[in-house]
Amino acid sequence: MNGSPLLEGREVTKHFGGLTALLDVDFAVYPGEIVGLIGPNGSGKTTLFDCLTRVQKIDDGQVFFKGQDITRKKPYQVAHMGLSRTFQVFRVYNRLTTLENMLLSRQWHGETLWRQLRPSQPETEQRARELLEFLTIDHLIEEQAGNLSGGQQRLLELGMALMPDPDLVLLDEAASGVNPVLIETIVERIRTLSNEQGKTFLLIEHNMGFIGDLCSRVFVLNFGQKLAEGTPDEVMNNEAVIEAYFGS
Amino acid sequence: MKPLIALIEALIFNRRVLALLLLAFVLLPGMFFAREACKELAAFSSPQQAATCTWLIEANPVTNTTLLSFTQMFILIILASNWNLTAGFTGYIDFGHAVFFGIGAFATAVLMGASRWEAWPALLSDWSFWPAMVGGGIAAAGFAVLIGSATLRLKGPYFSIAMLGTLVAMRELVRVNRDLFGGGLGLNLPVYLNRPLFYYLSLGIAVFVISFVWWIRRTEFGASLVAIREDEIGAEMRGINTTLHKITVFFLSAFLTGVVGGMWAYQNTYIDADIAFQQSRTIDMVMMSMLGGLGTVAGPVLGSAVIYWLRDVVWSNFLFVHQIFEGLLLITIVLFVPEGMMSFFGVNREGTSLTRIVRGWLKRPTVEEDSTP
Repeated sequence: MNGSPLLEGREVTKHFGGLTALLDVDFAVYPGEIVGLIGPNGSGKTTLFDCLTRVQKIDDGQVFFKGQDITRKKPYQVAHMGLSRTFQVFRVYNRLTTLENMLLSRQWHGETLWRQLRPSQPETEQRARELLEFLTIDHLIEEQAGNLSGGQQRLLELGMALMPDPDLVLLDEAASGVNPVLIETIVERIRTLSNEQGKTFLLIEHNMGFIGDLCSRVFVLNFGQKLAEGTPDEVMNNEAVIEAYFGS
Repeated sequence: MKPLIALIEALIFNRRVLALLLLAFVLLPGMFFAREACKELAAFSSPQQAATCTWLIEANPVTNTTLLSFTQMFILIILASNWNLTAGFTGYIDFGHAVFFGIGAFATAVLMGASRWEAWPALLSDWSFWPAMVGGGIAAAGFAVLIGSATLRLKGPYFSIAMLGTLVAMRELVRVNRDLFGGGLGLNLPVYLNRPLFYYLSLGIAVFVISFVWWIRRTEFGASLVAIREDEIGAEMRGINTTLHKITVFFLSAFLTGVVGGMWAYQNTYIDADIAFQQSRTIDMVMMSMLGGLGTVAGPVLGSAVIYWLRDVVWSNFLFVHQIFEGLLLITIVLFVPEGMMSFFGVNREGTSLTRIVRGWLKRPTVEEDSTP
């Protein structure tokens, strides 16, 4: 936890009309970490992801990625800097096969328009195949994405997020609706990516087992404010957190 | 019905047939030249030879008017294909695309020295036709970048209405500017009646535009455009600079539309605000692309050709109701063939579904059930 943070938020605030979705949220994610983000439904987790990927405007506060202020950057610029995400509601193209989905989510990083004036290159296909194999869904390469099970689609989304070789991946509910066996796979793959390639993850999750297995640190959001921060054990025994989740 | 469609498909989408058709178009003015030559000969020959010449002239159907008809059809093909580039690929339905046509026409006219305004710089006047035509395209493209960077931020119907407003506003601006654009009097261009030239020019631009659209569809750029149509926010978050892509495609489409506008102005020898910024020209583009198949390469071409000749037939036979017919046709298209004529064919040829583009990269045959664009 030494060195400068990869992603840092300072007093991030977001309002939807009269509703305050996020209020003065501070956080930092360091390179190579796997950090969890938990909180009851409606606590602002996905809104925070939307703010980080700049789909939503940040009303107040600042966000830094790799030391650069990205508070005013465009979503595609943030993506080019090496920040990638998956979605709570799948954004895969149902009628395309897994391989084709991967190709479309190819390395758009820093590609000029000029370089886009050609068909997709064989290297991209090669990389897509390798990633699908790594994610253990290479046997579904010819299957239409819409026919995959929920868990397999999660893996595909993870693959699509990894296609551009990002430094930080935001995973929005990576394990929801996934059977325990596949959750094992996802956990193991994320850990491998973190250990071997030094990738950093920030993940939203409701499954505390998943969080406890993977994360070194956890943030808890409640009603748009940071409620607690610490190791999974600390957080799970925190009285305020227990109250937020289960009521007093 | 099915065998008929299969027959048409085999006839139209056969490479050899297409090549022959192109060859026929290239050779067509030859018959016109032959006709003109016969006319010359008839004047300077013996009565007997003159009779032969007259017979040859009467037997030859290719007149000035034939070439003009085909020129107009090519212009419509170019316009519809261009419109399809923004509306079909990127999903931004533009109800004011004719504004680029009008700007191209007026810019060309002014650059060729048609303006009567004394204060207009001499450097930007009395150009010859070719640079002036390109100048028309550049003027239209420049305007597209300006207006596009504002309107392309709007989504769905708001964009359509904004562009419709742009067309009307531009028409009025040109109409009230008496100095530069001649106001209600319009502008007279140097008279140059050379049908074969305009025929070949429009044929050339049409072939170029169709190949261009066909090529764009195969590139990653084309895939990005279609990804914007399918899911703009997703595309942006996966790293596509959607604004740049939208403005680029708007720029390209406006440039080609402006060039055609310039050519049309020179061919017409006279322009004013009403005929250059004609509302029905936009409706033509929409109707022809929709009839052929929005977001396909061959659709707008097929739609333009069909509507052009159908209109000719209806106009010459039912003069008083031909406009009612057009309205009915538009309604019929939207109600009964929303996907266009291309959807009749077993495989939606040259469609711009993502499926089709990606399978093109993987060199894989497309499955029939994925035929919708």
